[in-house]
Amino acid sequence: MPLTTAPITLTSWISAALERLASTPCGYHWAEPSAAEPTALAALSLIGAGRVAAAQTHLKWLAAVQTPEGCIAPFAELNQSAWPTAQATFAAAVSARREFQRNFTAEAAKINRIGSNAACFNLSQASQWLLGAVGKTVENSPEFGHNGQLVGWPWVLGTHSWQEPTAWSVLALKALGLTDHPRTREGVRLLVDRLLSTGGCNFGNTVVLGQKLRPQVEPTGVTLLALAGEQINDPRIELSLQYLSETISAETTPISLSYGLLGLTAHNRRPAAAEQWLEAAYQRTAKRDAAPISLALLVLAAQGIECPLIKYAV
Amino acid sequence: MTTPAYENHNRSVTIAANKASDAQQPAGFDRRALLIATGAAVAGAIGLPFIKRALTPRQPVFIARNQRYDGPLQKTIGDGLLATRFTPQQFRGKRVLLKPNLVEPSRTSPQMTTNPAVVLAAAEVFRNWGADVTVGEGPGHVRDTEMALVEGGMQAALDDGRLPFADLNYQQVAWTPNKGRASRLGGFYFPHSVLEADYIVSMPKMKTHHWVGMTVSMKNLYGTIPGIVYGWPKNVLHHAGIPETVYDINASLPRSLAIVDGIVCMEGDGPIMGNPKPMGLILVGPNCPAVDATAARIMGLRPENVSYLALATDRLGPIDDSHIEQRGERWQELVKPFRIIDAPHLRGLSIDPGVQVS
Repeated sequence: MPLTTAPITLTSWISAALERLASTPCGYHWAEPSAAEPTALAALSLIGAGRVAAAQTHLKWLAAVQTPEGCIAPFAELNQSAWPTAQATFAAAVSARREFQRNFTAEAAKINRIGSNAACFNLSQASQWLLGAVGKTVENSPEFGHNGQLVGWPWVLGTHSWQEPTAWSVLALKALGLTDHPRTREGVRLLVDRLLSTGGCNFGNTVVLGQKLRPQVEPTGVTLLALAGEQINDPRIELSLQYLSETISAETTPISLSYGLLGLTAHNRRPAAAEQWLEAAYQRTAKRDAAPISLALLVLAAQGIECPLIKYAV
Repeated sequence: MTTPAYENHNRSVTIAANKASDAQQPAGFDRRALLIATGAAVAGAIGLPFIKRALTPRQPVFIARNQRYDGPLQKTIGDGLLATRFTPQQFRGKRVLLKPNLVEPSRTSPQMTTNPAVVLAAAEVFRNWGADVTVGEGPGHVRDTEMALVEGGMQAALDDGRLPFADLNYQQVAWTPNKGRASRLGGFYFPHSVLEADYIVSMPKMKTHHWVGMTVSMKNLYGTIPGIVYGWPKNVLHHAGIPETVYDINASLPRSLAIVDGIVCMEGDGPIMGNPKPMGLILVGPNCPAVDATAARIMGLRPENVSYLALATDRLGPIDDSHIEQRGERWQELVKPFRIIDAPHLRGLSIDPGVQVS
C-alpha cells in the first residue's frame, strides 16, 4: 500500500527541539558526555528536517569514535559492545545520499565525502562490520518458542540474536542498498519469528517454559519500521499493528510513543491524533529537561513519512 | 555443579597434603612425627569448610508481618534497620542508592515489581537519618526506562517524594574487577551512581524465578548492570552463568543491604508471568545471602539448593539457619510454600513437591 503524503508543519515545539539538538553531539542527558545512539538519532532528526549541515557536527563525532574495524561503541573508549553501529551507519548512509550532497557548499561537500577524509565516517568498513557481526545460535528447545538457529544481531558479540539490534541492522543494511543481501533477508525472517502469536514483540522472547510473554511498544515499533515494505504473509504483522494502535495514547512516554508511531506510519496506519500526542509528550518531557534521545525521537516521529527511518529504508 | 571456587578448594586440600609430605626432615625429626604432621594438615584442609562456617559471623535478619502498602512502612523499615544493628549516625552524609526491581512493569501485574510505597518509606527513613538518597534501576527487559517508571507507578512516587532517579542503564560506566570469580568474567562495568554510593539498598520483590528458583535481594542486583554495555536482556551474564554472575556481582559491589517487599509477592512462573501471593512481610538485613536464605525458607524452598546461595554461603554470608539471628518474627511461623514451575532444573528445591505447577 503506497504511503500517503502529508505536509509537514514545522511547529514551534519541533523548531525548539531541533535548535537544542543542533547545538552539540548528544549524550543520554544534557549534562553528560556524548553517546553514539542519541547523537545518531539527533543527526537523523536534523537531516529529516532538512538541516543536513547542522547534522555534520554529529556525524563528525560518530566518525571520530568509529574504530578501524568500522564499529561504534555506545560511549567513546568503551569497547565492550558495538550495537550502536547500525544506528550510526544508517545516519551516515542517509547523509551520503546525492540529494544531500548537492545542498552543500564546496567546503561542506569536502567534509562530507565519505571515505576521503580521516574524519569522515567509513561506510564501507561499517558495512563490513555489520555483515560480519552475528548472533550466537542456540539449539532449538521446547523451553523456548523461537527459532534459535536464525542468525540476526546481538547486543554484544558472542551472545544470542535479539530483536532491536536485528531491526536496526536490517534498517542500516537497507539504507546501504543491501536490502536483498542474505543477512538482511535472514534478519527479516528473525524479526517475524520473534513476533508474539497475538501480535507485538518484546526484547525477543516469545514463549519461555510454556508461558507466552508480553509485548512492549518500543521494540514492536522498531520491528515494524524494519519490516516496512516487506511482502510478508503472516497474520502477526497485522496483529502487531493492531497492538500498537490499541496501546499507544496521549499518555505514552516519548520514546515508546515515537517508535510506536514510526512503526504505524511506516505501514500507513498513523493515528489521526498523532501530532497532538507528540506535542503533548514534548510538553511533558520538556518540563523535566527532556533528554536528547527523547527529543530526537519525537521530532523523527513528527516527520511522518518524511522521516529518514521511513523514507530511506522502505 | 563445580565452579572455579569449588575447584580451588579441592586443589587446596591436595596442596596442603603435598606440602606436608614434601617437608624436609630437620635433624631429630622422625618419620612418626612426619606422619602425624601430614595427617594433621590433611585433616585441617578437609575441616576447612567447617572451620570457615564456624568463623563466619552470624548475621541478623528482621521480619515484620501483617504489613500493608498503606500501612506505617516507614516505622517498620526504621525498626528493622535498628534491629539489625544499623544506626542512624552511620548514614549521616552518606550516599544511599535504593535499587528496586522494575524489570518489566505492567499495570496489570503489580506483583512483578517493587511497590513504590516501600521505596518511598525507605527513602524517608534514610533521609531522616541525614543520608543523600537516590533511587536507581536498570530494567533488564525494557529500554524505555521512563515507561517502566510510569507503568510501575514509580514515577508518581518519585515526584511525590521529590526523589532523584538514576537510570542505571544509560550512565557513564567504570570497570571493576570481578571479586567473586565464580564466572569467567574478568570484571564488570558499573554505572557511576552505583560506584559512588556508600550503601546500595537492594529492594526486591520476593518472587519465584523459572531458571534459578527464586529472586530476592541478590538476584535483584542484576539491575545494577547497565544495559548499554550488556544489552536487553543482559545476555552476557546469562552466557556466563546466572548463579555465578549473581554471586560475582554481589561480591563486586560496594556495601549492600536488603529491604524486601514481601507484602504481595509472586509465585508460579516468576519473575515475570507468575501470580500474586499475598504474604504481608517486610524483611530487612545487612547481609543479602542471609536475607535471601530466610526468604527462601518462608517460600518453602531449600536455600542450600538455590545455586547462587550455595555459591555465596560462607563467602558472602551465611545461609545456614544456625548462623542467622532472627529479629522480629520467627520465619518458622510464616512459611507458606510458593508454587514453582515443574521443571527438571528446579526439582529438589521445594520442601513440598506438591506445589510444583506445569
